[in-house]
Amino acid sequence: TRKMASVIRIQPLALIDKCIGSKIWIIMKSNKELVGTLRGFDEYVNMVLDDVTEYDITPNGIKETQLDQILLNGSNICMLVPGGDPTFST
Amino acid sequence: KHSIMSHSVPERDPVLDFAKYTDQRVRVRFQGGREVEGFLKGYDKLDNLVLDDSIEFLRDPNDLSQVTDKTRPLGLIICRGTQICLICPSDDMQEISNPFPDEEEVEAEGDAET
Repeated sequence: TRKMASVIRIQPLALIDKCIGSKIWIIMKSNKELVGTLRGFDEYVNMVLDDVTEYDITPNGIKETQLDQILLNGSNICMLVPGGDPTFST
Repeated sequence: KHSIMSHSVPERDPVLDFAKYTDQRVRVRFQGGREVEGFLKGYDKLDNLVLDDSIEFLRDPNDLSQVTDKTRPLGLIICRGTQICLICPSDDMQEISNPFPDEEEVEAEGDAET
């Protein structure tokens, strides 16, 4: 008899879907990060975000910009962190 | 009559079987130089990953190709498969001595030839 492995695997896009309505922290390929409320996304992971804070990370400091509602192009999104509580250093 | 749809590409097994690495600590490198490590909790056909207890290795601000030992905690993250360059088990990494010849030696050789 074969044992069924009871592995609970999380589907990445399903996890993003669970974040709709709550804060999410997006880390771009470049030195830019955003925190906002996720309203929706598509199969390319283009995202609609509300009440966004955009963080521009430079060696001299972090520049913050506030944006109301944005469509974020998914082609440069590297990582997504549910919860939207960013840590920028150790 | 041949239609475009009559020859479909057979589905191939993925080169890397993520099931084997589930719940193991893996290191992921992205295009653009970012590097993270975390426990592999999920994946899909497009190579998107779910990592838990993850950390990012911070890079030298003056030379973004150099990863330092400084890290920052990220926690539970989703990694975009479109940006992933490399995935490897984090245990099996070992630093080796520089295999490339000295830059000065190579330049001297070039001058001698011209």
